[in-house]
Amino acid sequence: MVKKREFGIFFLLFMLGLFFAYVYTDITKTKDDIFKRIQSHQIEQISYILQNIEKDILDNSDVKTSEDLFSMFSKEYVRAEYEHIISLMLTSNVKYAYILYKDEQDKFRFLLDASKTDKANFNQKFDVSSAEYSTLYTTKKPQIIQLNDIENLYLTYLYPITNNGNVIGVFNIDITTNIQKIILESIKPLETFFVVLIIFILLLMAMTVMQIFHYFVTRKKIFTDPLTKTFNRNYLEETAPLLNLSHYSLAMLDLDKFKIINDTYGHKTGDYILSRTSKVFKNSIRDSDILVRYGGEEFILLINNRSKTKSDIDICERVRKNILKEHFLYEGHEINVSVSIGLHKNPYLEKNLQEAIKRADKMLYIAKKSGRNKVICYDEKEISEELSSSTDISFVKEAIDDDRVICYYQPIYDYKHSRIFKYEALVRIIAKDGKIVPPLAFLPLIKETNIHYKLTQRILLVVFENFKKNNKLVSINMNFSDLINPDIEETIINNLKHNQHLACRVTFEILESDEINDIELFKQKINLIHSLKAKVSIDDFGSGYSNFKTIIDVEANFLKIDGSLIKNIDVNTKDFKVVKSIIHFAAQSNMQTIAEYVHSKEVYEKLLLLDIDFMQGYYISEPKNYLVESDELFKSC
Amino acid sequence: MRALILFLFLTIASFADHRVDIQAQILEKVFSNVSINETITIWTDDEELLLEFKKNGFLSVSDNPAVATLIVVAHKKNIQDDEDCKNKPIFVLNYELLKDIPESFGAFFWKKGRPNIVIVEPRTELQNIRVSSELDAYKEERAW
Repeated sequence: MVKKREFGIFFLLFMLGLFFAYVYTDITKTKDDIFKRIQSHQIEQISYILQNIEKDILDNSDVKTSEDLFSMFSKEYVRAEYEHIISLMLTSNVKYAYILYKDEQDKFRFLLDASKTDKANFNQKFDVSSAEYSTLYTTKKPQIIQLNDIENLYLTYLYPITNNGNVIGVFNIDITTNIQKIILESIKPLETFFVVLIIFILLLMAMTVMQIFHYFVTRKKIFTDPLTKTFNRNYLEETAPLLNLSHYSLAMLDLDKFKIINDTYGHKTGDYILSRTSKVFKNSIRDSDILVRYGGEEFILLINNRSKTKSDIDICERVRKNILKEHFLYEGHEINVSVSIGLHKNPYLEKNLQEAIKRADKMLYIAKKSGRNKVICYDEKEISEELSSSTDISFVKEAIDDDRVICYYQPIYDYKHSRIFKYEALVRIIAKDGKIVPPLAFLPLIKETNIHYKLTQRILLVVFENFKKNNKLVSINMNFSDLINPDIEETIINNLKHNQHLACRVTFEILESDEINDIELFKQKINLIHSLKAKVSIDDFGSGYSNFKTIIDVEANFLKIDGSLIKNIDVNTKDFKVVKSIIHFAAQSNMQTIAEYVHSKEVYEKLLLLDIDFMQGYYISEPKNYLVESDELFKSC
Repeated sequence: MRALILFLFLTIASFADHRVDIQAQILEKVFSNVSINETITIWTDDEELLLEFKKNGFLSVSDNPAVATLIVVAHKKNIQDDEDCKNKPIFVLNYELLKDIPESFGAFFWKKGRPNIVIVEPRTELQNIRVSSELDAYKEERAW
């Protein structure tokens, strides 16, 4: 999440800064050390000379007290002799060399001055202010006075002239800063280089800090969808590697028929709906859950399952119900919105997040197919075996190549004449291990891919081949994209054009959906089917798109009423009324009606009250890999 | 006395290129401990020092030696045969001048990079100049 690169650079710069600061401090320390060594060396040498001179003074002149010393140096020739000796010490570093003594009034006075410049007179008073003079008299040991570059003097070395443990005079040696200055001058470019380097690194660090700060400021913008104020796909991509999927359930949410809202009311309304629904989503989930706008009207909800207060399915249901009861009003229009949800309870079992999303998307597809406004939960225990083999597109491709695509057939029952009217062909794939894989396991994966078209082609060939041999009627499912596919069209024409006997027994069940965005093209393709003497059935009518005008225009032969209207018809009077209306509409439009999802005796008997033409469902017969006969029907009851 | 020594020490410690500035401050301190029969008005042949005195404003100074009651001299030639300077207390800015000008009662000068003050006591007594005990450490019987 946090830009690791920037932090890495910052850390590197910080370490570099520390390193150079350390080197700079080390150079400064070394400089001081060099100073001290030079000072120590100079003083050591001076000390030896002074020691010799002191010995000479004391030995040769029998000096015992400061008075003796005064008496000795009061003689001008003696002073001249010793001034000459001491002046030999004067170098470019030793500026002044002189001897002082302390009188009865504790005033320091010159006994001799060997200096070449600023020479003092004999017995001239010398004002001293440093405590080291007193210390020398107390300790009787040499003292060093740091002078802070007074007149180019950086230190004074005081050496006591002692006799019998008493200090009787003091050698004063004033040392200049010449060598230190030379060293400083030579080191200065190096010091300047390090100072500039450290400043440069500090500037870079400041820039990196600013960049990191800027990153945090813009981070929210980068990861937030401006319309819904939820996280966006960038966030998901950024967090995917760090996300511990074992802590989450993954739900795919998709607003039902959102395209119709956009087409009917305009994109502004669509945006408003997205904005409002996302608020409802957010209000229905917990702080620990993560809502991401995945694209268009699709959202991903990562439900934190560490909190046991609500289960993932409860949260999904709450989201679904809250959306359903919310009234969306925009510019005077009341718009009803519902949401279909595909839930994957254990996304961590997948290879990665993308695979988990695919799985949840499959569940979403099932929710859509089974009437929308539903939560479909992926339960590995129940369906993993069925779905496990269908993990990718290559599974379908291999099945086509290996000729493992087969059809099951479910009878469509003519209850008025107690006979099987026709069969609906339903695709299955035989997995490599011999298991039969249902279409929901692989169709969502290949939707609108070339493999899907190849699969449809293969189903057509299987069905045509099978029904050439008999006189029975058959329905084949197709969607709009299949219908307009040139290869599929060619397959249909090639097999039916010159086989009237087969063509008149084939019904193409076209899924009526919002995919049909080109009505004229749709009509054109339906006319082609009619021209081949084949029949057309409108699949899943009543719960979805339901464009009555188009249905009448295409002159469909059958209208298959959507299972969501049938399955509860025995208890839901509204569904009963809707089905009744559809039957009436179909009758008026010369279409025969088929009720699917007849799953119980109650539903079957309720439908008997209506003038429906045909029925289909597990109550009558489940799909079989062969064509069941009439005597095999109603076995499940 | 201690205060003056401390002052001298501090001025040395903070020694910089402002030598005249320090010199002026030390002299101001010395003259504040010196009394003559009349109010001290200083004239000096050192123009930089005169300016510094004026800038500091602690002492009464004059550009005219005739008006001055205390003469501060850096070079002997500047007061030789000058009637305006005659019979006035003289303070010199060079130790050697203390010997060259017998009328001078004291000196301030730099020796080995350190400020030095000398007050020749017999001369102060002769000229009725009273010197505070603050300057005892700098009093001498004679110039050497």
